[in-house]
Amino acid sequence: MAQSRLEKIGTIFTRVNGLIKAGAMKYEDRPIWFDLYTAFPPKLEPRFDRPAPDTKIKNIFYAEDVTRAKFHKRTKQNETVNFLDTRRKTQTQNFIQIYENLKTQNPLDDEKLFETAVELLAEQSKNTSTEKSSEATDEIKTSLSNDFAESLDKEGRNKPGVNVDIQKLFSE
Amino acid sequence: MLQNSLKSGTRIFTYRNVCAIPKRLQQTQVATNTPATEPENIAVIEERILKHPDYFQVHNLFTVRDLFNARVHYGHKEGSLDDRMRPYIYGSRLGHLIFDLDITAAHLRDALNIAAHIAFRDGIILFFNRNALNAHLVEKKAIEAGEFSHTRFWRGGIFTNANVQFGAVTRLPDLCIFLNTQNNILTQHVAVRDSAKMAIPTIGIVDTNCNPNLITYPVPGNDDSPAAIELYCNLFKAAILRGKEKRKELLGETENTNSSKS
Repeated sequence: MAQSRLEKIGTIFTRVNGLIKAGAMKYEDRPIWFDLYTAFPPKLEPRFDRPAPDTKIKNIFYAEDVTRAKFHKRTKQNETVNFLDTRRKTQTQNFIQIYENLKTQNPLDDEKLFETAVELLAEQSKNTSTEKSSEATDEIKTSLSNDFAESLDKEGRNKPGVNVDIQKLFSE
Repeated sequence: MLQNSLKSGTRIFTYRNVCAIPKRLQQTQVATNTPATEPENIAVIEERILKHPDYFQVHNLFTVRDLFNARVHYGHKEGSLDDRMRPYIYGSRLGHLIFDLDITAAHLRDALNIAAHIAFRDGIILFFNRNALNAHLVEKKAIEAGEFSHTRFWRGGIFTNANVQFGAVTRLPDLCIFLNTQNNILTQHVAVRDSAKMAIPTIGIVDTNCNPNLITYPVPGNDDSPAAIELYCNLFKAAILRGKEKRKELLGETENTNSSKS
């Protein structure tokens, strides 16, 4: 196929289009993405030398940041996170939720609110940990080795094979 | 001979699917010539489909909430920012960059649309990923979609010197999907440059430390978290399968006549 390999000049579209216009490539032989590119061009031209825009990056802050910082200063962060889990909330997120709830219920002074929220969180984590340990005992039944044995059973490979005595084979 | 050379061509990507692919490759080469005489030929259908802005309905595959739950919005720290990624960033949270998921969603929908169209036109799609943590996931999803993956060290010249390296005329992929565009934190994947050289369009997940310039359809987003990679893989798989299904539905008859001829 006729081709221009200079990836730093223009885009893949302009290069192939140039070949077609110049007659080096027949229009019928165009690559299958050519029509797609004309119908759905990318938002920005994929040029090697496209200059970087000078956009300012703003800082993100929230109103509850003060409480969060206070909580982090007070408690040691030692929890583990599962990377594949998309639902579980972290301890700080739980704390902020409790704190905000308390604040709407009875607007006491901040110190007291904070202390009660910490206590509530400790209670909550205790409850969840006991729940988890009871769950964990159930989960043990489905371990990796069990799964492996089960799948072998399914395929029927776990059954003893043909009875062959190796010593017998060689004795003859 | 043709069959042989095609087979050796497919060897680049994976050893699986070998029995299914050569037939597919053969079909595309034959299909471009024959259907001109068919009553509703492929070219007419393809043209009709191109007029529709979102023929495969890829916009309903995901919501911005899904992206958020899969942690797509997390970027790297400010110090490693590539300036070309600035327009896609929402802000900096205590030194960590956060992507604007509305922009990401728009780019991802464009990319999914292209992937579905390429699958519809019977193109070969190749998934890339150089993160060992996610390599198996990507390979598995590529097989499930009936496509190819390359998640190992990239020997130079796989694209650019393919005919010599594989000892036969090789069909290159028609679309490359990069689930991360970096080899390591410092260097870009060589295949990004090589596919630009060989005029192969690319879709790439670009993190805040990547260069989006050579990627045809860049998707700004987190390219490290397994949750995010799983989401991208599932989305691309779904889009590709939609494209293939539509092809079967619309061109079922013409394909049958083709295969009986060849």
